[in-house]
Amino acid sequence: MELFLQRLFDGLSQGSVYALIALGLVIIYRGTGHLNFAQGEMALFCTYVVYQLGEWGLPIGVSLPIGMLVGFALGAATEVALIRPIAKKSAFAVFIVTIGLFQFLNWLDGAIWSDQPLPNSGVGSVQQSFPSLFPNEPTDFVNVFGAAIKIQSIGVFLLVIVLFGLLYLLFNFTKLGLSMNAVASNPESAKLVGIRTNMVLMTSWGLAAAIGALGGVVFAGINSNVNLSLMFGVFIYASAAATLGGFDSPGGAVLGGLIIGVIENLAAGYAPRWIGQEMKVGVALAVILIVLMVKPSGLFGTAKVERV
Amino acid sequence: MKPIAIRSGSAASWAIRLVCAAILVYLAFWIPTSASNGVIDTCITALTLMAAAMALNLLLGYTGQISIGHSAFFGIGAYTTGILVSRYGWSPFQTFAVAFIVAFVVGALVSLPALRIKGVYLALVTLALALVFPQMMKWPKLVWLTGGARGLDNTGFKFTKQNPTYEIFGWNPWGSLRGENVKPFHYWIAMVIVVIVYLACRGVVKSRAGRSLVAIRDNETAAAVMGVNLASTKALAFGLSAALCSLPGCLSAIRTGNVTPDSTNLTVQGSITFLIVMVVGGAGSLWGPIIGSVLFVFITERTGDWSDPDAIPGVLRPFFSWSNTPPGTGIFSIILIVLMFVAPFGIVGMWRRFQARFVTVVPRPAGTGTIVEPVAAPAEA
Repeated sequence: MELFLQRLFDGLSQGSVYALIALGLVIIYRGTGHLNFAQGEMALFCTYVVYQLGEWGLPIGVSLPIGMLVGFALGAATEVALIRPIAKKSAFAVFIVTIGLFQFLNWLDGAIWSDQPLPNSGVGSVQQSFPSLFPNEPTDFVNVFGAAIKIQSIGVFLLVIVLFGLLYLLFNFTKLGLSMNAVASNPESAKLVGIRTNMVLMTSWGLAAAIGALGGVVFAGINSNVNLSLMFGVFIYASAAATLGGFDSPGGAVLGGLIIGVIENLAAGYAPRWIGQEMKVGVALAVILIVLMVKPSGLFGTAKVERV
Repeated sequence: MKPIAIRSGSAASWAIRLVCAAILVYLAFWIPTSASNGVIDTCITALTLMAAAMALNLLLGYTGQISIGHSAFFGIGAYTTGILVSRYGWSPFQTFAVAFIVAFVVGALVSLPALRIKGVYLALVTLALALVFPQMMKWPKLVWLTGGARGLDNTGFKFTKQNPTYEIFGWNPWGSLRGENVKPFHYWIAMVIVVIVYLACRGVVKSRAGRSLVAIRDNETAAAVMGVNLASTKALAFGLSAALCSLPGCLSAIRTGNVTPDSTNLTVQGSITFLIVMVVGGAGSLWGPIIGSVLFVFITERTGDWSDPDAIPGVLRPFFSWSNTPPGTGIFSIILIVLMFVAPFGIVGMWRRFQARFVTVVPRPAGTGTIVEPVAAPAEA
């Protein structure tokens, strides 16, 4: 029982990270109908920025909002400068541009911050490990039914729930969120009733990248360092989460992320010889395949009707 | 200025073709005989990438099925050769056929979900495949076969000082070009693979099967209505593309003499490299991947030591001296993004537009070929 609870909470905190990246994917997909393959790398860039601010002596409480602002600017700029003009050509061109962006950002991170994991415990570094949002000392545990649960795990989980609550309020009770919904359901009509579609799309991309930045920082905190391949795996789990929840449902993305995180950790924990740490990513592949084959719209997504 | 018109199949068009072919053949022979070992090595890298990108082109450029999973097929080739050579003592040449068949079967299996899953979703599935493959090679259950994270050793040809080259029936074609060195030998294997892959792609593309591939790419529903069998055509495209992609994988195992799950081109990064190389060169054209991979290898080799600011040529130094890593991939991804805006069909597409201003190739008018009288079907009895 203790082991089960421990694995459950580990899964929930990892799943929270997937949920954050998946939320970004879903927000962009709702707006423009594209899958942003650079989502993980945008988040990674912001995570490096947060690390750099930490090196300069800023506490995480200050550097995280700055990192998210950088993310917002990066996402918005990407939409305006790259995605909007190329989307007129073809969906394939958008795909290639996001792949190009993926490659470019990954290179840029390496070029600026070297290809070694940071912070390295060598000389000159102010930080011992990547700053965590929540207390993460070896003694920071809570006792839940006899299982020792990290405060960090609970904190990350609560963070995602709170963030989702805020997004729910945004989408349902503010003018910006309502216009996002309008653009998602019918761009042409939305334009006709006076919604500034371009502005809304720009904001969606910015918002997605900002949430991604939060996810990246949280994951680097769990991982205790930031490196160039940090987000490869996370991205595929997040895509699995978005697929499972439905590509146009933010709630589905959060739930999907949590489910994937828990399944992955339980599977690796209870079948150490068959799945273990190596084949964890196989869980993501299986989920993506099964959902796409059986119910392509996911748990909460709207089914796409195709006209021939 | 009015562009010069050249009739397809005329003497002038054949002369141009012959001159181009002669230059290429001359280059192909000049490199292993006269270039330095470093240059030969770079060329092998380029040829490997070329073959893989051409295989991907068959699937993505012609059939329109997005795959970011070709590193897995490349890896199947590398591991098949590695396992058979190091564990069972096969000759590396024999392993190519096995790798081809294994990759064909796996590729055809991947085509099954592709019957339902389209576009970027297929990209997701194949991306997951690319991530799963190296992990699967590290899987404890398969360590007896794959060697786990350590990988396999001694997967290449065994050369000795006394017998520095490989002979076929006592004849040593490589040594007569330049012996005593394995590099030219690997170069020739790579060259043969590229030629085979090119001819296979060309053969498919210019045949009935190729036309059904393009039909699927342009409009799947219409293709089905016109009588293209989606399931078997997609299975063929996936299988052949995977099988062709495994051949350069075999070469990579032979060339480096070891295979690990993190070798170059076996991870997701490999898939992405194949993809961007193909798109920069020109998706959906036979020459696209060739030009793309030459450009890619040229840029990465040229900028390989640029992490040291002193190695950068003077004019460019202020732009790149801040970079901690070689700027090759960065430059190439910028080229990729810019090309998508100015020339969606890559460098080959750009060249075709440029060339059309000066030379137009007039296709042979229909009905000038040898006329084959249709054989009347025997009347039903």
